[in-house]
Amino acid sequence: MVKYEIKKVFARRGGVIALLIMLVLTVYTCWFATNSSSEWVNENGDTETGYHAMVKKREAQRAWSGILDEEKIRRVIEENLRITSTPEYNSKDVRLSNIAFGWGQGIHEIRGLLNHYFAVDFQTSDYYRANSLTPDMAGEFYPNRIRLLKEFLADEANGSYYRFSDAEKDWMIRQYEALKTPFYVDYMQGWDNVLTYYPTVSMILIMVLGYLMAGIFSNEFQWKSDSIFFSSAHGRNSAIRAKLAAGFLIVTAVYWAAILVYSLTVLGYLGFYGASCPLQASGRWKSFYNLTNAQAYLIVILGGYIGCVFIAFLTMLISACSRSTVLGVMTPVLIIFLPNFIQNLSFDAVIIDKILALLPARLLELNMELVYFDLFDFGGFVTGALPVAIALYVILSAALPPVIYREYRRKEIM
Amino acid sequence: MELKITDLTKQFKEVAAVDGVSCTMTGGVYGLLGANGAGKTTLMRMLCTLNTPTSGQITWDGQDIFSMAEAYRRILGYLPQDFGYYPDFTVEDYMLYIASIKGLRPVVAKRRTAELIRQVGLDKASGRKMKKLSGGMKRRAGIAQAMLNDPQILILDEPTAGLDPTERIRFRNLISELSEERIVLLSTHIVSDVEYIAKEILLMKDGRFICRGTADELIASMPERVWSLTVPKKEAEGYLRRYKVSNVKAVPNGAQLRILSAEPPAGMQSAQLQEATLEDVFLYHFGERSGDGNGEV
Repeated sequence: MVKYEIKKVFARRGGVIALLIMLVLTVYTCWFATNSSSEWVNENGDTETGYHAMVKKREAQRAWSGILDEEKIRRVIEENLRITSTPEYNSKDVRLSNIAFGWGQGIHEIRGLLNHYFAVDFQTSDYYRANSLTPDMAGEFYPNRIRLLKEFLADEANGSYYRFSDAEKDWMIRQYEALKTPFYVDYMQGWDNVLTYYPTVSMILIMVLGYLMAGIFSNEFQWKSDSIFFSSAHGRNSAIRAKLAAGFLIVTAVYWAAILVYSLTVLGYLGFYGASCPLQASGRWKSFYNLTNAQAYLIVILGGYIGCVFIAFLTMLISACSRSTVLGVMTPVLIIFLPNFIQNLSFDAVIIDKILALLPARLLELNMELVYFDLFDFGGFVTGALPVAIALYVILSAALPPVIYREYRRKEIM
Repeated sequence: MELKITDLTKQFKEVAAVDGVSCTMTGGVYGLLGANGAGKTTLMRMLCTLNTPTSGQITWDGQDIFSMAEAYRRILGYLPQDFGYYPDFTVEDYMLYIASIKGLRPVVAKRRTAELIRQVGLDKASGRKMKKLSGGMKRRAGIAQAMLNDPQILILDEPTAGLDPTERIRFRNLISELSEERIVLLSTHIVSDVEYIAKEILLMKDGRFICRGTADELIASMPERVWSLTVPKKEAEGYLRRYKVSNVKAVPNGAQLRILSAEPPAGMQSAQLQEATLEDVFLYHFGERSGDGNGEV
């Protein structure tokens, strides 16, 4: 039965076209994710692009890989000072300036961390902050991050003082302090890009999956095959379970196939280096989730999968109840646009943030949640929104199939 | 083998689509004859557990069919009036899928599919997509799917609707072949579909059985007689208004009418008494609607 339910979905021309569209868009996203970080400024100040440019950049940055201890931080500051004191760097000539930039490509990512960790305050980003550092400041690198957070949470002017409860503030500070330092740094463009562009893939996926799922139940009514279906021996029991199983298998297979293509292409091209580096060794330095890049990506794609399963089941439920494929197809679209609508509501911003953090659309972009300060305080037990959202939608995804089953099996033919 | 309907009613808001009908069916073909909107489809849907009755009961060998649920549906074959199918499935895939939801084991499903496709004459079209079949071929696929589980109860709702005369005869013969050792309930508003093959005919009107029996019994029970007369063409209109006329045929000297009337039509002593047919019975009961085109005979 399951085999034929799957066949029903893909026997339609629309089903195959949807898959092809998804494949094309996924490949396009891969191209974008790999191509956007494949620039190298050579010794003449010219910009090279393509695979070889990316390899040169990767090798230059890998030369600085290792434990980012005080000594390495000092060396990076010194190297940065050396570059910034050259006539080329200070020249108004673009070519000379580019040449100087090229010298700093190896330390570019660590230099970026210096900008963050030595920022004037938690909310300010200054690209040139590293240029004002001196080697003797290297020892302040890790404590600075904690200090910046504490100052941010204590500042009554920026609103965060009131936004978080004392328990939440304590929890965040503890999380910051729990980050294992000194941490390991490496070239991690692959993980950075694969995380950054993931929502594009997940949005494409849910649209396509929604289209594929929308007809599983409602098409019986639209094709008028419902009478024969429901009057058959298994029409009100295992045939419905077969539909649910087919939906689940399609979501699982399509999702993981697309994610596999996307992940392997991007990481295969840019490299798997930096898998064990913490999130905080990148632009996600504010994150209070102490995870490595690989762990974070695994959680993001797992959360996305749970989100897709939930939205797929919700699509099936709506199309089964309404007998309308169109309403089913609309479901993922509404779910994706729902956050925009809620953001415009004139409620308390903290409540809005908490609602947004728990909407199914957020599961499709958990890479964002990694750096959002969304917290939940359950009577003193504080945790980030990420595990709450995942747990919530695992439960809801498990609860939906029995509801769909019960709704569909008692349908009468009109 | 006994399918018993007791005081069955299905109410849709203010309208009783089926209004307290009762009957008992054992083996053979039962014809359910009535104009469109008589309640035939609603009755059949209840017999197929697709709609639940407002009141009354349907039992199979003494057991309530809704309580039997899957056990009842295992012995049921159904061809609905609006035969829906999966347009992109081939005939063979369609049959195999229906076999699977009917609970047939894969080996049996393959064997039955091959047998039935051959029996209904679709062997050359078994690899063709359902949406590419002609109306007659779709109907044949429909009857084949209904027979997959070798049902003890075969319910066919308007199976010949939209078929050309040749297909209709072929279909009738096929149903007759299939009727051995099972109950076949065939709903139609086309008299000839059931006239020769039905063991019993149930005339349904406004949700009720208004008359039942064999074709001969129904003919005998009609209180009016059938007259044939030829009148000038200009007078034919007047007869059509005053009498139930089952046939009008243009002849060189006017129009030959077939009239239902207890007495010879007024002023026409030359009218000849004719043998009544089931079509006349249909006209007698549903005559007021035949002018709307619903009482196709």
